[in-house]
Amino acid sequence: MDPNQPVTENYANPKTCFFHVLFKAAALAFYILSALFIDNFVIIFVVTVLLAALDFWVVKNVSGRILVGLRWWNEINDLGESVWKFECLDQESMARMNKKDSWLFWWTLYLTAVAWIVFGIFSLIRLQADYLLVIGVCVTLSIANIIGFTKCKKDAKKQFQQFASQTLASRFSSTLSSAFSVV
Amino acid sequence: TVLPARPPSPPRAQIPVSSSLPPPPPKPAPPKPQPHSFPPPLPPPSSSVPAPPPLPSSRPEIAASGFGPAPNTLTEPVWDTVKRDLSRIVSNLKLVVFPNPYREDPGKALRDWDLWGPFFFIVFLGLTLSWSASVKKSEVFAVAFGLLAAGAVILTLNVLLLGGHIIFFQSLSLLGYCLFPLDVGALICMLKDNVILKVVVVCVTLAWSSWAAYPFMSSAVNPRRKALALYPVFLMYVSVGFLIIAID
Repeated sequence: MDPNQPVTENYANPKTCFFHVLFKAAALAFYILSALFIDNFVIIFVVTVLLAALDFWVVKNVSGRILVGLRWWNEINDLGESVWKFECLDQESMARMNKKDSWLFWWTLYLTAVAWIVFGIFSLIRLQADYLLVIGVCVTLSIANIIGFTKCKKDAKKQFQQFASQTLASRFSSTLSSAFSVV
Repeated sequence: TVLPARPPSPPRAQIPVSSSLPPPPPKPAPPKPQPHSFPPPLPPPSSSVPAPPPLPSSRPEIAASGFGPAPNTLTEPVWDTVKRDLSRIVSNLKLVVFPNPYREDPGKALRDWDLWGPFFFIVFLGLTLSWSASVKKSEVFAVAFGLLAAGAVILTLNVLLLGGHIIFFQSLSLLGYCLFPLDVGALICMLKDNVILKVVVVCVTLAWSSWAAYPFMSSAVNPRRKALALYPVFLMYVSVGFLIIAID
């Protein structure tokens, strides 16, 4: 990176960041406001859970790829076993990722999960079992994404280290062989 | 300025995926190192549930989310992802609900599980029942949703505890998709309020749902324990059928 670059960079993908935050904020906002204004539990449930599901999908399939270059999914192989796959961009592209994008990505992920847990505690105190159902679903979705992406990031780091050590080893052996061939 | 974080990569050798998925279109690109993808193998699923699911196309039940994408999906356009997930839902629905008796291996059919389909079907059933109810609409919806979601989880645990080989989310996905006939039945019952018609419709759709669930569940367990695995599934669908008939 060029040292004369200004310290504050802008978001590289403002539209993706917007959508990343949109559904999370919409689900939380709808939940809060509807508890005050709408009396119909069914609507609250369906809309909140639908927004949470859309948010899950957007984070997993779109903003994860674009903002932090990570992707995780589950496959069932031919033996009938379930395999979790993690994918990341190559190291140069990862290094070039916009810092602001990834900061926004991770922090909104954590904050949403914390917010839902706080609402869950409120519902628990008030002994509202049906609202707990909604919150349970939303918390599950948020935590699923957090765990998936964290595992993916750790896996990516491990791969880069392996790749780096392999490159070092292969370079070392090639210099050795070239040294010996010269001799 | 910051470079856009979207390096196009050339397509690479495909991990074998099921034929129901269309491969992503190849993208022209300068030669670059490939995206890495390492599968961490896990112990057989009967011992532990792996990390929570992707949802949609997945969604938990959704959660789903689900997926078995071809390797080069990190840089595909969003519309491709949407199309891929939608086509997966449709193909799963066709596979599960319109069972083909000549299908070679029923257990394989829902390899690309996803939870969007089950989510929509459960919510739709809850909404239909809630709409048909004249009183206590919210409770009806909550009960229907809770019953179906918890029922799917418990039925899956039942198969796992019987020593069957089934993957947790695959089974949830399957049981959710098999609700489609009951959804149709509930819709018809909502529109026409004749008791005899309701009983007939519910019986037909119940039989259809059970018939759709039968091949997957029975192929997952030991043949001597087939009835133990299938009976609770049938029981759950019967109870949903009763809910549909009894609501007025």
